[in-house]
Amino acid sequence: MLIVDKEGILIRYNVKMEKSMTPEEAAAELYPKEELYRPIAEAIFEGEEDDVVEGLEAAIAAGKDPIALIDDALMVGMKVVTDLYDQGVIFLPNVMMSADAMLDGIDFCKTQSNEAPVQKGKVVCMVAEGDVHDIGKSIVAALLRANGYEVIDLGRDVPSAEALAAVKEHEPIMMTGTALMTTTMYAFKEVNDLLVESGITMPFACGGGAVNQDFVSTYSLGVYGEEAADAPKMADAILAGADIAALREKFHQH
Amino acid sequence: MAINRFTTMAYSEADEMVFGNAKKPVKAGLDLEIGAGYTTAEVNYAPRPEAGESMEKLVNEYQRITKDIMARMVQVGFPSVVLETEHVQQMTNNPSWGAAVAHAQKTIMEEYHEEYGIKCALRHTPGDIREHKEFMELRGDKMTTVMESFEQIAESGADLLSIESMGGKEIFDYAVLRNDVPGMLYAIGCLGTMDMEYLWQEIAGVAQKKGVTAAGDTDCAQANTAMFIAGGLLDKNLAHTLAILARAISAPRSLAAYEAGAVGPGKDCGYENIIVKAISGMPMSFEGKTSTCAHSDVMGNLIMQCCDLWSNESVEYHGEFGGTTVQCWSESLNYDCALMNTALKSGNEKILRDLLMASDRFRDPQSYVLAYDNAYTVGEAIVKDADDVFLRAKNAAVACCDLLNNAEGLEMTKFELGALEKATAELDAITSESETFMSECMERFKKEVPVFKPENYAL
Repeated sequence: MLIVDKEGILIRYNVKMEKSMTPEEAAAELYPKEELYRPIAEAIFEGEEDDVVEGLEAAIAAGKDPIALIDDALMVGMKVVTDLYDQGVIFLPNVMMSADAMLDGIDFCKTQSNEAPVQKGKVVCMVAEGDVHDIGKSIVAALLRANGYEVIDLGRDVPSAEALAAVKEHEPIMMTGTALMTTTMYAFKEVNDLLVESGITMPFACGGGAVNQDFVSTYSLGVYGEEAADAPKMADAILAGADIAALREKFHQH
Repeated sequence: MAINRFTTMAYSEADEMVFGNAKKPVKAGLDLEIGAGYTTAEVNYAPRPEAGESMEKLVNEYQRITKDIMARMVQVGFPSVVLETEHVQQMTNNPSWGAAVAHAQKTIMEEYHEEYGIKCALRHTPGDIREHKEFMELRGDKMTTVMESFEQIAESGADLLSIESMGGKEIFDYAVLRNDVPGMLYAIGCLGTMDMEYLWQEIAGVAQKKGVTAAGDTDCAQANTAMFIAGGLLDKNLAHTLAILARAISAPRSLAAYEAGAVGPGKDCGYENIIVKAISGMPMSFEGKTSTCAHSDVMGNLIMQCCDLWSNESVEYHGEFGGTTVQCWSESLNYDCALMNTALKSGNEKILRDLLMASDRFRDPQSYVLAYDNAYTVGEAIVKDADDVFLRAKNAAVACCDLLNNAEGLEMTKFELGALEKATAELDAITSESETFMSECMERFKKEVPVFKPENYAL
């Protein structure tokens, strides 16, 4: 059998460029200093739901307001995770597990108060009609929630009329559409046309599988997202005042 | 059809495996023999979306595709070709549509075969439509429609029957995003295999009745999902060491088709096919550097090492500078086959195989494990406990980890090594008792994954 030294044949750039700091070391630099919040943030980073609730119980027992803890501890802990993900220090499954822990924490805080928490904004997430591949949508929804957005998850194989009805009902700042197949992504155009006919001008962020920038650019509300991680960045940009043209300028890379 | 487990390796050693030769060649279609001493291109394509509006438009689209490919084959002088039509959903949901397409395609292929003597075969791959909006429904009315689709395409000209089945995917999608190794093992190795056995006994029965070939499946829905999420070297969505773990577990799952009556050639996007070929001796289709029209991978040369059919995965039908896409890609595929066939004819096939393998061997943990010698090792771990669906899948995962933990010449990131270490420890902690593992997973995933319906697996 022939074995050839890889020198000059390939370079594992991920090994070459790897950061020297471990994820735990990087996270330690970002945790909140407040002693009641730090264990909660650490538990979110570790994705340990029980420890998150335990930390919240301790903070509430010490007099902290349950709803305020969502922003002051849970979201701060989650931001450590999403920042490290954006920096390439940790990977997606860590974000998913942390998001699960954070959501459990939010649910717990809600049970401890009569007030409702205020979120950054609503986003509707859908998979194109005829398409049952929804792992991309699940990632997008988790990343949006991890960044403090309320997600209205319409699931997979969503009829265009149902998407329109959800947008009318919830008045989101953005809708995301994912599709795996070229044959189903054409449903996005139909959704776009229904939205436009109803006078809705909200951005419709689309991506996944065979979806490409050229296609998404053909309908007026369309903004192409190459990565699932673009979704919360788009939502943040919308809150900062970006319109569709500005979003396309920022996120259309090709 | 009965289930016949593979308890031994088809090849006595890894070095015995080469491209274009399988222990059990398959005759199919119009004078074609797959794995019988030569390689053949397998051309894949997708209709333009607007063609799906009616049956007539679809049939016309596939007629154009088929004529384009066959004409280019003759123009450049290639001796054989396989065409694969992966159904758009309308063709499976309306079995008569799929049948009409198969008939139209086969008619054209017969004309070319008659006039030029070109050896060819038609593979049809109905979509796995066995699900509703919320849940998978692997058994019931949708299954009836899938089988009706197989019956009609087999009657209408399809020579090779395949499907990309999705059993276990509801658990896998949840598990892979949480680095959940036991969940991946349960999804692919257990649930996936159980569904494959159920589905492929039926497909093999249709093939036998209609006198065509039950070809094979692929774990596209799970192992390829892992590979695509893992992405390139700089992507941060899944450790490549976990992606190859999913791939190793998928080998016994895809093997189940051949235990239930399929005979090959396995489906192109089953990168696990190298392990399956080592065990079964059946011919396999592969894709790599010539499927960049559909997706990227990190083993474009290596995966060609032992192919019997060489595929481009899928390309949308439209014009390019060099002709239509199907003409361009069929030509590229066939030039690769001409090179392999020259190597075979001149006795240099092992040299070319090794050059292909060596050029990607250290590119990634995925390519390292799928190098034919290491793939063979994974295969040995599977057949060791052939009769225990869970245990053989676990064995495959453990063998994969062992290969990576002892790899020489492969550089891995701290992250990849960390994920590998965690996976190794988790596998070590998993029981070796099938019933215990199955019942624990059942209880856990019924709670954690609301869309999991055990009745899909007769559980």
